[in-house]
Amino acid sequence: MLPKLPRDGLLELCRRMFLIRHFEESLVPLHDKGVFGGHYHLYIGQEATGVPAISCLRSDDYLFTTHRNHGHLLARGAEPKRLLAEILGRVDGLNKGKGGSFHSVAPSLGFLHSSGVVAGIIPLSTGTAYAAKALKNGRITVCLFGDGSLEEGAAPEAFNLASLNKLPVLFLCENNGKYGAGRAVAAGQSSSMAAYPLTDLPKAYKIPAQQIDGIDAGLVHATVSEAVEKIRGGEGPQFIEAQTVRWPGSETNWPSVPHPTDSSLAWDVSAVAEKAREWYHSCDPLLVFVRELVEAQQATKDDIAAIERQVKTEIAAAVEFAVASPYPKPEEAERNFFA
Amino acid sequence: MREIAYYEAKFEALDEIMAADQRVHLINGTFLSLSPHRHVFQNLAKKYGDRMMMPPISELGFCGLATGAAMAGLRPIVDLSTGSFIYEAWPQVANEAANAYSMSGGQTRVPVVFHLFHGLRGGGAAQHSGSPQAMLWNCPGLEIAIPSSPRDVKGLLKTAVASDNPTIFVDHTKLLDLRGEVPENDKPIPFGVADIKRAGSDVTLIATSYTVQVCLRAAEKLAKEKINVEVVDPRTLVPFDLAAILSSIEKTRRVVIADETHQSCGVAAEIAARIAETGFDKLKTRIRRVSTLDVPVSYSPPLEDYIGPSESRIIDAVRASVA
Amino acid sequence: MPAKKDDSTELIDLLRRMWLIRAFEEKVSALYAAREIQGLVHLGIGQEATAVGTCSQLKPDDYVFGGHRSHGHAIAKGADINRLMAEIAGRATGYCAGKGGSMHIAAKECGFITATGVVGGTIPLALGAAFAAKERKKGQLAMVFFGDGAGQAGPFHESLNIASLWKLPVIFVCENNGYAEFTPLSAHTKIERLAQHAKTYGIPNSTVDGNDLFAVRQAARKAVEQARAGKGPIFIECLTHRMRGHYEGDPAKYRELSQLAEWKKKDPLARVAKVLKARKWIADKEIESIGGEARALVEKAAAFALASPWPAPAEVDSHVTA
Repeated sequence: MLPKLPRDGLLELCRRMFLIRHFEESLVPLHDKGVFGGHYHLYIGQEATGVPAISCLRSDDYLFTTHRNHGHLLARGAEPKRLLAEILGRVDGLNKGKGGSFHSVAPSLGFLHSSGVVAGIIPLSTGTAYAAKALKNGRITVCLFGDGSLEEGAAPEAFNLASLNKLPVLFLCENNGKYGAGRAVAAGQSSSMAAYPLTDLPKAYKIPAQQIDGIDAGLVHATVSEAVEKIRGGEGPQFIEAQTVRWPGSETNWPSVPHPTDSSLAWDVSAVAEKAREWYHSCDPLLVFVRELVEAQQATKDDIAAIERQVKTEIAAAVEFAVASPYPKPEEAERNFFA
Repeated sequence: MREIAYYEAKFEALDEIMAADQRVHLINGTFLSLSPHRHVFQNLAKKYGDRMMMPPISELGFCGLATGAAMAGLRPIVDLSTGSFIYEAWPQVANEAANAYSMSGGQTRVPVVFHLFHGLRGGGAAQHSGSPQAMLWNCPGLEIAIPSSPRDVKGLLKTAVASDNPTIFVDHTKLLDLRGEVPENDKPIPFGVADIKRAGSDVTLIATSYTVQVCLRAAEKLAKEKINVEVVDPRTLVPFDLAAILSSIEKTRRVVIADETHQSCGVAAEIAARIAETGFDKLKTRIRRVSTLDVPVSYSPPLEDYIGPSESRIIDAVRASVA
Repeated sequence: MPAKKDDSTELIDLLRRMWLIRAFEEKVSALYAAREIQGLVHLGIGQEATAVGTCSQLKPDDYVFGGHRSHGHAIAKGADINRLMAEIAGRATGYCAGKGGSMHIAAKECGFITATGVVGGTIPLALGAAFAAKERKKGQLAMVFFGDGAGQAGPFHESLNIASLWKLPVIFVCENNGYAEFTPLSAHTKIERLAQHAKTYGIPNSTVDGNDLFAVRQAARKAVEQARAGKGPIFIECLTHRMRGHYEGDPAKYRELSQLAEWKKKDPLARVAKVLKARKWIADKEIESIGGEARALVEKAAAFALASPWPAPAEVDSHVTA
């Protein structure tokens, strides 16, 4: 379903989803050509979770994210060219090249820190929530992490602390488990987590927890809005598990693009290779959203195509900017590690 | 000048810090350890209870909480209690707090203080006698303060809280009853400034924390043998006042370093390396270290006494350096 | 209540073991007060039924891991009280040659692998022992003791998860005595029963009166059967109380005297004696002599310990690496 927003709000969500999609796809050839190295993790297939969820926040709320952070930063409004420059390790990057993909931050947008250590941010999020509560500034914290984080002891420790101290934090778990091409993730899903459903973990600490379909932008928007309101009302922490189906491009050791995204895929996937076709047909949240927009007559196919064209132009410019940005001077390694 | 106990100076510091800055929160609360004085700490709860949080046994969780709170405008002091327990929180200290400012290109400051009691405490055995400061010195991005006297604990704690960097505050339970001069309205002690605890001319004896006090006793004994020892206390490991040490060595030409971290890659090892690199030509004899032996700390008293940087081992090392 | 088939000999023997633990702990307390023992000492007076009820169901080659309050667990598993007392007193004749002390007991020959001073520190270790036991296919299992304070530690959760996923033959025994160090459980978590965590990870669990030897024994018996049959881990939560402070020297002002009085009424030794007397399997005189014998054995152990030599300083270099 579509979020309960006016037309321009919906189109803005659409634009941001396309922005994430094309940004992420642009990284693959850059990496394969050796323009940047190291591991990187793409948010493709999860856009309908991050974009509507983050749109529910106030401008001064805090967000924490993980190694899979590009989508969150872009959803929040980070400039693609500066994020891309950071991923490339250039001096015009968000972190001046010091962080790279894993650690990109944008404090003015509420991203104080990203961690490449699974579950590293979960205890930190209880800290910003604690501070906001102590300073009475009304800010809430959203902690965005994946299903794997729940295997780390840091997660239950943080849930316990949040619950005991009624901290204003939303734990938003993006479960992109691999199973099947259907929407629902199969029961008994994991070889690495005995608890099922995952919501049992926060519930043990009396944290209200829900499991939702992360591909349904409207459901995400409604659920997160409600949770955020409760947290702002002082009800303490909330937990939402948003389920998506993992993008086939993540199956390989390094990300690969099974088929370049184009809005026309929303109606015709015949050009997509068989292996990936089912995913693009039923599980791609961006295409689902586009179809719904058109069905609900909030946009025409041409409107969508125009948005996409504009996004692609922006991404192409971002790539140019980032590639042209210089590397930091080597001596910079020795500077700025103490305030 | 008035003379007060170390634990009183520490309490005063906490009281004054809490009164001066509403952003300071205390997370966990064994700042006066489990000593008989811990009831004194309860007086803080009466005044600042809403800024004091007693967490469950979740070091990883609550050190992460303290770090995150520091990122978001508070200035927390988080207490690990027994120094070895910082190993439970290691990912948050070494991988998050230490790196955040640098990784963000200077955008995210982490003004958190991690407080702990290190060292040989008398029957603590292997898991309660750790001195993690050497390992933490090898983790760039952390400041490390390590007081040895009542005046130092008060002055350094204030600077630690005022610093915008994550700071490890390394204390020692054997210091708590020590009495010393602490002027009223004393100024905070800047980091990176060593202190000559005892002026001398024959040997430079460098030490930190409780070992400084052991060295002062050793120095008194050595004075009777007409060996005049200068005891130098760095007070902070990061930043480190190498200049003060070199200036002392310029005078004495001999150096012994005594420290409670284990010998390999310990605090004494790093200080020795820096002296060797920059002050080699000033030395008349080789550098000598008196560190805790490279063995897990045994429980039994004679074994614990044997492995630490004891007064007798220090005296032997100093005598050897003037022989 | 004991089932009719129960062997009176077995039960009297269990009472004997509980008495041995009680007498031992009381003696350690006295020695500590007399400064013959130093360092950190945590006594399990009042928790004898959980130690004996569980360990009595194990075989000598089953692995047991403990925490800082584990003198009783070691004794219940069959440790020699002379060597145990000597270890707590830091003597060369102790189990660990004086190197470990009260919190780090190891009595390998009877399967008590190690205790720890780090809350929850041995829980992952027990997983490992269970993993090895499973590989060996001889029906061995591992049992680990910890308190309610460990429930808030990350490694506890990680271990429950792994034990469940890999169906490891490990029995988690949580001695919920209501206090984690100096604060009540409610200050540490909103959960009241730690067995709830086991449920989250799909582990069969039960909560029993930890001061009722028979209840503990029955739960342990069932758990052992299941674990040996390869059905995976089990969690037993024993509700009990420590009659002393957290450590020797802790005045325990945080505890209501009325609470202490309540728990005195539930004294595990008295309850077992009462049941056995009711069945006419034992009379007051015998109970007295059991207590007397236990104290005599403990006195011998204390004498042995205090007469033993201190370890030689050069011993610090031994047993650093194999």
